[in-house]
Amino acid sequence: MSLAILDARQWQQVVDLQSGRPTESDAPATEMVKGLLDRHPFPGDRDRGSNAWVTDTALDLIDRYAPGFAFLSYSQQYYSCRYSPLSPEERREHVAGAFAEAARFAAASGMTTVLVGTGELVPAKTPIDLENLDGLAVTSNWCAHYAGLYDLSARDYDALRHHPSLSRIVSKQDILDLFGGGPADGARLPEYMAVAATGGYFKGTSLRRLLMIPEPSTVIPVSANLGPVASLTDIRAQILSRLAAGERMALALVEGVGCAEFGVPATSCANGLDWFRYEPGDAQFLAISTGQHPIFQHNGGYRYYLDDDEHKPYPFSGYFTELPPDTIGEAYSGRSIAVGNRSMFMHVCTGCDVTCECFARNLYNQGLMAVIHRQDKME
Amino acid sequence: MECGFCERRCRLGPEGYGYCRMYRAGETGVEERFPDRWCATAVSRVETVPFYHAWPGARCLIIGTAGCNFECRYCSNAEVVKVDPAGLTDIMLELSPKALVDKARKHGCHAIVFSVNEPTVSLPSLEQVAREARAVGMPMGCLTNGYATVEATERLAKVFSFVNVSLKGLSPEFCQEFLGVPDAGPILRNIAALARKVHVEVTTPVIEGTNDHELDAMAAFLADIRRDIPWHVFRLLPEYKMQREDYPSIEAISARIEDCGRRLDYVYFHNFIGSRWVNTHCPSCGTVVIERHSLGCGGDKLDTFHCHGDLCPSCGARIALCGSHMAWNIKEATA
Ligand code: SF4
Repeated sequence: MSLAILDARQWQQVVDLQSGRPTESDAPATEMVKGLLDRHPFPGDRDRGSNAWVTDTALDLIDRYAPGFAFLSYSQQYYSCRYSPLSPEERREHVAGAFAEAARFAAASGMTTVLVGTGELVPAKTPIDLENLDGLAVTSNWCAHYAGLYDLSARDYDALRHHPSLSRIVSKQDILDLFGGGPADGARLPEYMAVAATGGYFKGTSLRRLLMIPEPSTVIPVSANLGPVASLTDIRAQILSRLAAGERMALALVEGVGCAEFGVPATSCANGLDWFRYEPGDAQFLAISTGQHPIFQHNGGYRYYLDDDEHKPYPFSGYFTELPPDTIGEAYSGRSIAVGNRSMFMHVCTGCDVTCECFARNLYNQGLMAVIHRQDKME
Repeated sequence: MECGFCERRCRLGPEGYGYCRMYRAGETGVEERFPDRWCATAVSRVETVPFYHAWPGARCLIIGTAGCNFECRYCSNAEVVKVDPAGLTDIMLELSPKALVDKARKHGCHAIVFSVNEPTVSLPSLEQVAREARAVGMPMGCLTNGYATVEATERLAKVFSFVNVSLKGLSPEFCQEFLGVPDAGPILRNIAALARKVHVEVTTPVIEGTNDHELDAMAAFLADIRRDIPWHVFRLLPEYKMQREDYPSIEAISARIEDCGRRLDYVYFHNFIGSRWVNTHCPSCGTVVIERHSLGCGGDKLDTFHCHGDLCPSCGARIALCGSHMAWNIKEATA
């Protein structure tokens, strides 16, 4: 049973991760993780101390658990650039701050730390309104460029084909063909997907004004200490082979940073296939973590709310109704940890034994959540 | 010309607009500056608003506009409501009342719920939406600060069949310093008036050391109206002008509300992850009749509905409910 420890500051609750129901655990691992959360309250997504929180928490956890592998995400600069009006100089400072934290982690942990930038941000220029279709457009706060389209009328289809801010409309079959899927793989794909041109973004579900959006980038940077990789789906195999050779490794995602701003020597790798490029988000995390393209399960524009019924398993895991298999933490037999300030991504996307993440939603800071997937490795 | 929508009763000059910046003096009277403009049209659970006793489990289209008639120091939606709405029009959605109701139907929603900001500042648009919603049998609900005038409150009660009023504090000092209004009198008056006409739940965002000492008096006030008004004590997140304040202590507040449970049938304490105070207990026998998860600001969700209709499955006592338990996945409408 995977345990979740919820921490709302000076108040903790242990629940069964799958059912969400309170449970008792006096295992040493639970006490260790409770103490960890208590010592490191989360300062907030856009707070300047947010990336330092990642480093401090990860180092504390390494001291107590001695993992061979650590998966980190540094996301403060991503949230700040998306939603805070920053001057170019301030933006550079935020990005530099993330690299400084990653360097501090690498030096203090002694782990070979591989950095991956999740892609450039560009100004959000053109809001695209798909509200007045005869059919249905499904958009989300955190996915600027892709919208799912359902039940389009001929009038809708015509209007979308000629829309000046869309770069293309692709059918479910186009997506299946591109990613090599069979008909059974299309259950969660939209009937059509609208793809925004650069600078365009779909008006989502929040009125909070977007200031920058993902580019999204054809290629993303990977620090040169990993050696060359052709695609983001190749990173996992390289890390696993170095771990198998006995090297202590860390993989740190530096969010919202592309090749142009990457703070350490880097190579670049493909960030998708053909027209499809990952935005920073769960699908990109999963592509890196599983070495597979997860687009049939996790794509922009699927109707997540259809799954969100009573008894939905994993109520604290966002719209995930099961934890994705074959993640990098699962594939590694040694001890592993994940710490990140990108919401619930760490426990759903990394599969590490112990994960610690902020429980922030739409930038509202509710506290922290830790998940213990593997107690057995602590005995 | 005086605006009669809320108790601020702003004077609207020929060029100007009122405190909320959502109304102006038109040729025929007070008119909306941004009719049919919406934000945050999101599909969500009715429990997130929160409503725990109205259409449990219902999937709703959550809507909002911009602007507000309050100046709460802890506003969690300040980026929407504290800026000039004129500067937001490019990112607001323009949807006719019919298109909005169609959107709700297409997403398989049972209800439309106004949240995010204050419905009083967009009342004429909401009346148009209500007309369309009524035509397809779709109920509407809202979260409001309750500072409407008597007349506007009557109009709100015609639009919304379930209302959650935010009772933020009682003392004039608190109202002036934290809300920017003289006193809570109109809010108390309107809670009582609304409770006579529609389903009412009440939410109190609690700030430790500021309004927590008033919790017992609030519970007494509500119990005087009806002891079955569901009351949500909300742990306030330090936001906006209170960003640097401490987080309220869960232990201390939960101890305070224990007493309030003797006055009221349904007292909840949430807005933080994993709250243990989100289940509904039968007021007669104490059985857990509705189970929920508290996901904090990500919204609460129904887990298990044990009632038989609106009756306790154990002792048969009536549980106060507006509307019935709704299955989440009614089919999305395609036409
Ligand atoms: S609704 Fe707006 S304009 Fe009217 S009185 Fe209230 S604050 Fe003033």
